[in-house]
Amino acid sequence: MAEQAIPAYKRWLEETGEQVNFFTSFFRNVFTGGFEWSEFVRQCYEIGYKSFTLVGITSFIMGVVLTLQSRPTLVKFGASSMLPLMVCVSIVREIGPVITAIICAGKISSGIGAELGSMKVTEQIDAMDVSGANPMQYLVVTRILATTLMIPLLTLMGDVLGLFGGFLAVSLADHTSWTLYFAKCVNSIGFSDLLPAFVKTIFFGFAVGFVGCYKGYNSNSGTESVGRAANSAVVSASLWIFFLDVVAVQVTQLLFY
Amino acid sequence: MSTAEKTENTVAEKAANKNEVVVEMKNVRKSFGTKDVLKDISLTLKRGETLVILGRSGQGKSVAIKCIVGMLTQDEGTVQVLGEEVSDMDDKELKELRTKVGFLFQSGALYDSMTVRENLEFPLTRVLKIHDQSELDQRVDEVLDAVGLKEAVDKMPSELSGGMRKRVGLARTLIVKPEIMLYDEPTTGLDPITSREISDLILQMQKKYKTSSIIITHDMECAEIIADRVIVLNDGLFVAEGTFKELEKSDKEFVRSFFK
Repeated sequence: MAEQAIPAYKRWLEETGEQVNFFTSFFRNVFTGGFEWSEFVRQCYEIGYKSFTLVGITSFIMGVVLTLQSRPTLVKFGASSMLPLMVCVSIVREIGPVITAIICAGKISSGIGAELGSMKVTEQIDAMDVSGANPMQYLVVTRILATTLMIPLLTLMGDVLGLFGGFLAVSLADHTSWTLYFAKCVNSIGFSDLLPAFVKTIFFGFAVGFVGCYKGYNSNSGTESVGRAANSAVVSASLWIFFLDVVAVQVTQLLFY
Repeated sequence: MSTAEKTENTVAEKAANKNEVVVEMKNVRKSFGTKDVLKDISLTLKRGETLVILGRSGQGKSVAIKCIVGMLTQDEGTVQVLGEEVSDMDDKELKELRTKVGFLFQSGALYDSMTVRENLEFPLTRVLKIHDQSELDQRVDEVLDAVGLKEAVDKMPSELSGGMRKRVGLARTLIVKPEIMLYDEPTTGLDPITSREISDLILQMQKKYKTSSIIITHDMECAEIIADRVIVLNDGLFVAEGTFKELEKSDKEFVRSFFK
């Protein structure tokens, strides 16, 4: 038992060390050498625009479901007028950022992991490296920065569609005007709700890109490792999102409440 | 003077010195875990020379050429390329070395999200920092013409056959006009006719671009067409060295077995 634990412990330490190296190498490459603008824009399109529909539909449905599920309880307590407030705070503070990030972990992180993993297996990354070009700058920096920029923007868009979904669900039960619903939403949230939620999506975006790139870039040779890279990218990115969310809640409590 | 012109002038100047040693490996050892892949190998490559390394799979041939280009670092011994020790180089020096040493991968390793043109322009824009579109077009046309694939310029790698991929891979490596070329099994996986075409093409490119080359292959026809000198690697050691004709008549059964 102890013999098995030692290699596992060593493997964990090695993995952690490699991740720290990858992390420092990313930052070194962000600030040195030429930035690959055209690849960055292409990645923003691939990551942002192509996830727009999925994130939009999911957020809209979440807004509808959250409202429909909450309404009976609030009606029971005679607090149905609080429904826009509850939906808005839930979506803006927690559901919007986390659901968007989890969707992106499944779609984007696995995609990056599989893409870079397959490039590694087919020696494309080695070919780039051995030609004197910088694969970290071209492949990794662009993708991580694109996820760090696009996931907060997708979250904002998802929040708006989620609130719209909430409005639709409220309208089905009561005759509420959009102006009233929107005014109640806007009045219910403040700076201390918006800012921490937005800041944590930047970290979520970084985690999604970083984990996908790390898993793909460091996959071993063999087609099996491509699938493993994609799979472990989703699992690790999702865990990181929840971990960062816990940290974000604690920091927000300390700073704003 | 542009970077490209400087590179061409340097290659032309150095081509005159035929006895200059461009690659020298001395007593190189390399292990992975408990497996000793290279036990004690030494070799030299002179300017303009073509050296073929023969050996069974898993004997460390690819490991040897990966040490030359700094993709792997030897555990013991020295690897000098163009007079500089590779293991002592920092990232910047290694990057500079890699502009002078071309590496053709077994699969061609074309970037599959880019067209043939983008593949060829990639090292020019990123490594030689050439951004003038007319110069890029001229270079792309020149190498594609040399490998006979001008019509494939706008195709994606997935639309190319195995032989075409190797040709484009060769063109992408040659486009930066390297002084030394390292070929990792350039004809593996091709039919005999295409293999011969690729071997002839490598020979033509050697003459046209005056490069010094190390070629790893199992293809004896390729070795016969290309090699000035052949080295046989077995169990992490070089066991025979000579011209193709000399090794064909070697008194060692193991060496002769490659030529049957």
